[in-house]
Amino acid sequence: MEPVHEQLKSDQILDELKRRQRTKDVVDVEEERVKIVIFSSGGHRYAFYGNDIREILPSCEISWVPCLPEYLPGLINVRGDIESVIDIRHFLGEELNSKGKHLIAMAVKGDFHSGIMIDSIEDVVDVPVNTIHKPLATLSGVARDLVIGEIECAGAMVTLLDVEKLAAKISL
Amino acid sequence: MSEQPGAYLNLFLFSVGGVNFAVDAEQAEGMVPYAGEEDPDLFWAHEELGFGTTPVSYRTPTIITIRTAGAQPYRVIIDAMEDIAEFSRNDIRLFPGLLEPAALRNGMWGILLREGSLVLLVDFQRLIQKKRSHFSDTRQGR
Repeated sequence: MEPVHEQLKSDQILDELKRRQRTKDVVDVEEERVKIVIFSSGGHRYAFYGNDIREILPSCEISWVPCLPEYLPGLINVRGDIESVIDIRHFLGEELNSKGKHLIAMAVKGDFHSGIMIDSIEDVVDVPVNTIHKPLATLSGVARDLVIGEIECAGAMVTLLDVEKLAAKISL
Repeated sequence: MSEQPGAYLNLFLFSVGGVNFAVDAEQAEGMVPYAGEEDPDLFWAHEELGFGTTPVSYRTPTIITIRTAGAQPYRVIIDAMEDIAEFSRNDIRLFPGLLEPAALRNGMWGILLREGSLVLLVDFQRLIQKKRSHFSDTRQGR
């Protein structure tokens, strides 16, 4: 009778690790992922889809234009192209008293293109689409109209905003 | 490559409340210093251009008389006539689509870049046309 060889513990662990690795590879291949740009505004964290943000501009001079509502602080010169700027704090219900420097996220979606004032960029991450949750039905406040979902990032929920919904809010 | 005739615009550059504007010199019939006169047909530029409640002070108020089709002159008080310069039409930028409707309603139709600053092009004739058609509508009760 042949001796029964017990599987070595190390082999068991290796097998387990390899099985997990294979599963992970399959998951990586199958999961649809999207790029998310996480930013802060007024001390809160929000995000846009990365596809909707063309670039992030450092703080630059905004030329005020008369006749515009307060949420449109003016124009910027982006390498010779003149672009509008939106102060998103108006739509997020945040304090407008901060006169500090802002970055400008250049948002482009369909026919809409405009700079959006933000405080800072927190992160740019790839997340599986299925980890984007629907916005809470109980979500309240002025920001609700812009929200498209919620994602978890570094243990905290981040509100995902829709550039298209922001564009729809602006009619002059 | 040579420019086509009429490819340049002669512009009067002025400022109001620290904002740089320019108007086609062809629109200006005359310019005189403002001496404090009051006239219901004399308008302050900041009121005409939609400054709203933003306080504006004028350092060197000047009356610009705009050529109009009607008999009634259109006179606007601007501040600090700064320069007269020729610009190529090709250098005129459009207002971003988001802002264009509001800009046009308030007589602003284009943008120039000059020495790193933005200059807003104003069409006073567009403004007076709108103003007079509004006045006419109001009188006819429309």
